[in-house]
Order: sequence, then structure tokens, then C-alpha cells
Amino acid sequence: MKRNPITLITAAVLLVIFVCMLFTFQVRQTEVAVVTTFGEYSRSITEPGLKGRLPWPIQKVYEFDNRLQTFERKFDETITKDQKNLVIAVYAGWRVADPRVFLESFNGDMAKAEQKLEEIIRNAKSGIIGRYNFSDLISTNLAELKFDQIEKEMLDAVQAQVKGTYGITVDAMGIKQLGLPESITSIVFERMRAERQQLIATYQSEGDRDAKNIRADADAKANKILAEASGEAKKVLGEADAKASEYYEAFRKKPELAIFLMQLNAIEQSLKDRAYLILGPQTPPFNLLNGAAGDSGSSLKK
Amino acid sequence: MERSIQKIGVINWIILLVVGAGSALVGRYAATATGTVGAAFVGIGFLVAVVSYFQMRLEERERVEKLEYEELSKARSSATLFREAEADTFPARRSREQFEKYLVPLFTALLFLLQGGAVWWFWKWLGKAAPPKLDHAPMAMALYALFALILFLLGKYSSGLSRLDGQRLLRPGAGYLILGACICFLVAGTEAAAFFGFPKIDLFIAYGLCVVLGLTAVETLIGLVLEIYRPRVKGQAARLLYESRLIGLLGQPGGLITTAAQALDYQFGFKVSETWVFKFLKEAMLLIILLQLGALFLSTMFVIIEPNEQGLLEHFGRPAGARAVLEPGFHFKWPWPIDIVYRYQTRQIQSFIVGEVPDPDLDKDRTVLWTRPHFKSKEGEGSEMPGMLVASRGQIARTDTNEKAVPANLLTVSIPFQYQITNLLAWVYNHANSDELLQELANREVVRYLVNVDMENIMSSGRLAAAEEIRRRVQARANEAKLGVNIIFAGLQDIHPPLGNKRTPVAAAFEQVVSAVQQKQTNHLYALAYAAEKIPSAQAEATHTLAQARNAAVTKVALAEAEAARFANQITAYEASPSVYTQRLRLDTLARSLEPVRKYVLTATNTQDILILNLEEKIRPDLLGGVIAPEDVKSATTNK
Repeated sequence: MKRNPITLITAAVLLVIFVCMLFTFQVRQTEVAVVTTFGEYSRSITEPGLKGRLPWPIQKVYEFDNRLQTFERKFDETITKDQKNLVIAVYAGWRVADPRVFLESFNGDMAKAEQKLEEIIRNAKSGIIGRYNFSDLISTNLAELKFDQIEKEMLDAVQAQVKGTYGITVDAMGIKQLGLPESITSIVFERMRAERQQLIATYQSEGDRDAKNIRADADAKANKILAEASGEAKKVLGEADAKASEYYEAFRKKPELAIFLMQLNAIEQSLKDRAYLILGPQTPPFNLLNGAAGDSGSSLKK
Repeated sequence: MERSIQKIGVINWIILLVVGAGSALVGRYAATATGTVGAAFVGIGFLVAVVSYFQMRLEERERVEKLEYEELSKARSSATLFREAEADTFPARRSREQFEKYLVPLFTALLFLLQGGAVWWFWKWLGKAAPPKLDHAPMAMALYALFALILFLLGKYSSGLSRLDGQRLLRPGAGYLILGACICFLVAGTEAAAFFGFPKIDLFIAYGLCVVLGLTAVETLIGLVLEIYRPRVKGQAARLLYESRLIGLLGQPGGLITTAAQALDYQFGFKVSETWVFKFLKEAMLLIILLQLGALFLSTMFVIIEPNEQGLLEHFGRPAGARAVLEPGFHFKWPWPIDIVYRYQTRQIQSFIVGEVPDPDLDKDRTVLWTRPHFKSKEGEGSEMPGMLVASRGQIARTDTNEKAVPANLLTVSIPFQYQITNLLAWVYNHANSDELLQELANREVVRYLVNVDMENIMSSGRLAAAEEIRRRVQARANEAKLGVNIIFAGLQDIHPPLGNKRTPVAAAFEQVVSAVQQKQTNHLYALAYAAEKIPSAQAEATHTLAQARNAAVTKVALAEAEAARFANQITAYEASPSVYTQRLRLDTLARSLEPVRKYVLTATNTQDILILNLEEKIRPDLLGGVIAPEDVKSATTNK
């Protein structure tokens, strides 16, 4: 029976590949591996490269990512020492430290490991937060703030718990988010708004006060200027009176004439505006009207 | 023989039904995506087998009818008795024709909808499918292997029978039986892979099966359309419209060329399969495939890294020494699986956002206002986390430690970060999810910064400094974690008070404060304007008063001087004739003074009479002087 050489070569190549796959495996730089023989632990591999093995089902290889895994918890409500409720989320960085223990503890399942880790983290988080006041977490005073200390205590607590038992180490832990429950949030909104209202009232009253002050000051200055001017005017008039009196010395020579002239002047001044004058026929020069026109003509002739 | 073929048809659809249901149940039991999608194939195969079985029965009835007719024709020479309408003579044939004309296309159209719907549903479902249950994998493997064996044996038998003349109706069911066997075998393989630590293979193959199902749907649709335009050759049996060539091909890959040739012959109406091109392809197909596989293998010996990338070269899983990081350009390497290159877009500027994520739908306006929502509400967080906590200097000063009030404010924060990977080895090898870790670190640093900074400060004068400080802190944290990144930018442009709710609009209150400040300044300026007017006005009035006084003083002095000088002369006149001079002055004064005065001179001598004078105020003559009298009145007055 004639064999096709292409078929033979293909079959040989496939056979070689199959044998290689059965007897070797690769461990990446990012991985560690555990080899078991008939289910019993044989060895752990922590160095990357091409490794040999006996084919399945004699040996079985379990490979795990040995890099730092990031794990994030959801928000949890907890309470501080001074009885203030907080919503807090933390993250953690963990890695497989002992692949054999990890395989035995979690059957090599990363998700199961994170599930167990979550319980430990949650416990540590609530426990540590409960020891501190709210102002230890949030404060403008740096000396009062214990944020970093709280994170470190959480990490220490989690590390102590997982050490040796789980085949993992927790290398990092931090507070990712801080918040308040919805009911408290509404109150904080209300307070924030009240703070703003207080500022608004302050600014408004300060504005009124400043404006009134400026106006009053301006009025005072204006009044002062007017009063000073009025005083000065009176002074000038007084000086004029004094100077004018020097000329009145001349009236002493004929006081009766001076008085007569002043009286005439007074009559003239008083009759300047509207006036009704009812005169009798004896009042000169209207006494000339008495006795008709003939009389007056005769007297002139006389 | 015919009856046994019908029995095979029945067995086919019963087995397909049982295996389909069994496959679905086991798929659910072991949470295998491939098994669940495979069950859909077997289920569709059941429907196809049922329809072909009914068609098989109709054809059998037609054959019996034809035999009876021929026997009757021989027995009776007189044909007059049988000269009836053809429809009455061959009811079975007519039934078969009606079935092929109406029911088969209808079923094929339904089949297309079913296949298309299944693809859509499975594609969505696979996105959230759980990984296989490892505990159930051995049992699932065994069951699927059993299913594969049953389907394969029955499929092979049916397939063999279908090649006999007139048994083509067994072919569609046989195709699905063999394909079902292949799929069950694949599922057993994926279960084994999952068991040995490769659970994702199950998902990949499930997606592959979805693609095949989609192609089958497309083939069904094309078959339906082409059937309209196919040239009808007399005597040639119509192809089974619901039969998939793709399914037949996948079930029996060896028949690729034959299947293709049959399809072309059928569609074009002549023997395309007898052309030299087709014969050459048929003979050299294996070689061509091998050459292509060889070329594919050789293509793994080089790699081209794009300008925005770096490649990570691993030799048997460990970084390849000095060549571990490949820069953009052409590079040789050992073929897969010895050397493997992983590409990363290290030069590309990447970004993420800490806090609220802008909503492109809400952010269409060109103006972003605090009082208008412009962020996506985060699922599960929206109601609970309206902002980040930030310290408040004023509030802390007011809060007694025993009070329940929370000494903090809330701030809506959306901080974009931009970064570049600077050390690829650190980025890839130190952390499983480096980008996630970087985001966590950035989030932590933002929270850490906000809890220690005054809200007023960070929203105003301290904004730029805060952005730089946060960037610096995140960079320091990333360096500590050996992430191998450079934080290029952290922006605090979108940090403001929360929107609040309908009852308590917080952001609006902040704007009102700004209004109040503006109002304060406005009042201040108005007052300054009043002062600016009032003082110069008073100064002007003072100047005026003073000038008046000075004028009066000058006048008074001048008058006094003039009167004194006049008096000296008047004394001379007086001394000359005192009585005449005084009388003259009196009369002059009276004449001058009384000129404008209304005068009543009473000349009556009878003093007993009572005179009544009306001194009532009349209209002033000066007012009357302003009135222009009409011409006739004026002339009348003049005439008088």
C-alpha cells in the first residue's frame, strides 16, 4: 500500500508536538506552579522556563499567577469610635506566597482566595475604624489626622491573619473611598446650604453696613463744610458791619435829620410791595383835593 | 427496506431529541458554555430530522400510490375508468408537492429565524456565562463522550444509508447527528481543559460555535433567496432547502470538495466539478492546507512592533534577556511556542478618571455648570456616594467632639489622570492588574488629600497647587509599588460642590454666595458714589455762601461810606431851609413810593356814612399783561 509522504511527515510532526505537550510545560515569569504525582504534592516551581513532567494522569501541573493581585471591596457602612457612620471602601494587593499551601487551601482557585480574603479585610477594617474618631480620618489639622496609621493597622491586622495559613501575603492595603450614608448625606447637604446662607446674610449685612457708613461719613463731611462756610460768612458780615459803623460817625452831626431820612427810607421800603393806602383829604398833598379845582387855582393865583 | 429507513428516520429524531435535552441538562449541571450552545445545534437537528421524516413518509406514500396505479393500469385495459383529473388520481403525490412547495420554504424561513435568534441570545448570554464547575467536569466529560459515541454511530449509519439511491432524506438528520457527535466530543475536550486549568477554552469554543451557527443562518437565508433564481432542470430532484451544506461539511470534513462541487453543479446547472481547476484543487487541497499552516507557523518567527507600542519577548516563558523589550520595528524571534511576544501600548498616553465620569449625553452643552448634572450616575453607587468627603476648617472649629454632626463637607470630584508606561517589565511582571492598581492608588491619594485640605481653599486659590500635589503623590505611590509609569497630568478642573437634591440645592447656594458678594460690592460702590457727589456739592455750596457774605460785606461798607458822604451834603441843604427841605423830601418819597400802590382817597365830608371798600385780591395786572386780547376787543377798547 502506497503511503503519501506528506501525510507521513504531517503525522510525524503532529506526533512530536503531541509528545512535547505531554512531557513538557512552560512556566511564565508571572507564574508559579505546583506539580502533583497521582494527586500527591511533588514540587513547587518558582522559576520561569520550560519544565519537564510526566504525562497526565500521572502528573498534574497547577499554575498560579504570582504577581500582585489587586482586590477591591465594595462600600461598607461602619461606625467610628465617636459614633459617626461612614461608608468606606478599601483595596488590597495580595500575591501567592506559597503555591503548595495556596493549592491546598483554595484548590488553586483565585476567586475563592479573594472571597476568604474579603471576610478578613472586612473584619479588620470595621475593627480598626471603630477604634478611631471621625476627626482622625478627616481633618484639616495634619497633626490630628491618623489616616496613614489606620491604613497601616488594617494591613498589619490582615497580614497577621493570613500569615502561614492561606499561602498568600497581603502586601498593600489602602482606603479607596470615604463617604456617608444617604440619610446623613442629606443632612450634610442641608448644613452646607445653611453655611452658604450664613455667608450670604453676612455679605448682605456687611454691604449694608459699609454703605451706610460711607453715606453717613459723607453727610458729616458735607455738613461740616457747610457749617464752616456759614460761620465764615457771618464773620465776614460782622467785619463789614464794624467797618460800616465807622462811616455812621457822620450822622452824629445832625441826628434829627438822620432819623428823618431813615424814616423816609423805611416808608419807601415798606410800600414797595403791594399795599393799599386809604388816605384822608387832610393828608398832604391830597389836602389839595379839598374844595375842588377852583380853590386850588385861586390859591395859586394868590 | 423502505420501512426500515423510515424507522431509522424515527430513531434519528428521537435520539437527537434525547441527546439535545440531555446535553442541555448536563451543560447546566457542569456550567459548560460549549455544551449549552452545542445543545442548540442538536435541538435544531431534531427539528430538521422531524421535517425530513415527514417528507420521507410522503414520498413513501407517493411511491406506493404509483405502484398501485401501475398495477391497476396493467389489470384493466380500459383506461376510461381512470381518466380523471390528475389531482384526484395521485393525492399522495399532490400532498408531497404541496408539502415541498409551501411547508418546506415556510419551515426553512422559521429555521433561519430560530438560528439567528439563537445566535443573538447566546452571544449575549456568553458575555456573562459562569466558568465551568470543576467538580462536575469528570462526570460531564463521561456523559458527553457517551453522547458523542451514540450520535457518531447512528450518524455514520444514517450517512451511509443516505448515499443509497432515493434515501437522500436521511442526509440532513445524519449531518446533524455527526456534527452533534463532534460537538459532544469538543465539549468533553473543553471540560478536560477546564479540569486541567484552562477554563477559558470552553468560552472560546462556545463563541466559535456561535459563529458557526450564525454562518448556518446566513447559509439558510442565502439558500432561500437562491432557490427563487435557481434554473429548474426537468427530472432533476429539488435539493432539500432546509439541509445545510455547512453542517454536512463540518460533520464530514473529507467531503469538502465533493460538497462544494455538488453545490456549484446544483446552483449553475452544469458540471463545474469537471473543470481542471476544480480537479486540481481537489487533489492538491491537503498540500495547500499544509503549506498554509507552514506559512502560518513561519510567520511566528518575526514580529512588527507598531510606533505606539513596545513588545515583551519571552523565551520559554522567561524574559529574553537584553532583547526582552522590543522597540518599534521589525524583529526576528524563535517560532511559537518557544518565543512569544506580548504587545503593550507603552508610548500611547493613557488615561483614567478618579471620581465622577462625565456623561457624554449630559455633557453636550458647551457650558458646564455646577447646577446642571453632567456626570454619569455610577450603578450601585449613585444614591449612596454623591461625592467625596472633604475637610472643612470652619465646620471642624464649630463641632464639639460629643456632637453627632459630621465635621466634613461633600465635594463632587472628577479628576482625569494621564500616564505613560515607562518600564514595561515592571508594568507587566510586578502586578497582575497594573492599570487597576494605578487607579486604586490614584483614588486613595485623592481621598487622602481631600480629607486634609480645606474645601474653600481647594476650590479657589489652592486648585492648581492641589492638582500638582496630587500628581506628585500618585507618582510617588506608583514608584513605591514599582508600577513603571510616569504620571503626566492630574486635572482638578472639575471639582465643585455637589448638585444636592431638589429640596436642598447645594451648588446653587454656592452661586448665591457669589451673588451676595457682588451685591455687597455693588452697595459699597453706590455709597462711594453718594459720597463722591455729596462732599463736592457741600464744598460748592460753602464757597457760594462765603462769596455771598463777602459781597454783602463789601456792599454794606460801600453803602455806608456813600450814605455818610451824602449826609454831609444833605446837612448843608437842611441847614439852609429845614422845613422846606424836609417837606420836599417827604413829598418826593411819597410820590415815588405811592406810585405803584393802589390808592383810595376819601374826599367825603360826611363822616356819618359807612363806606365799604372791596379790597378783595384781583388778578394781578402783570398777569393780565400777558394776555393778548382779540383784535375786535382791542379796537373796541381803543375807540372808547
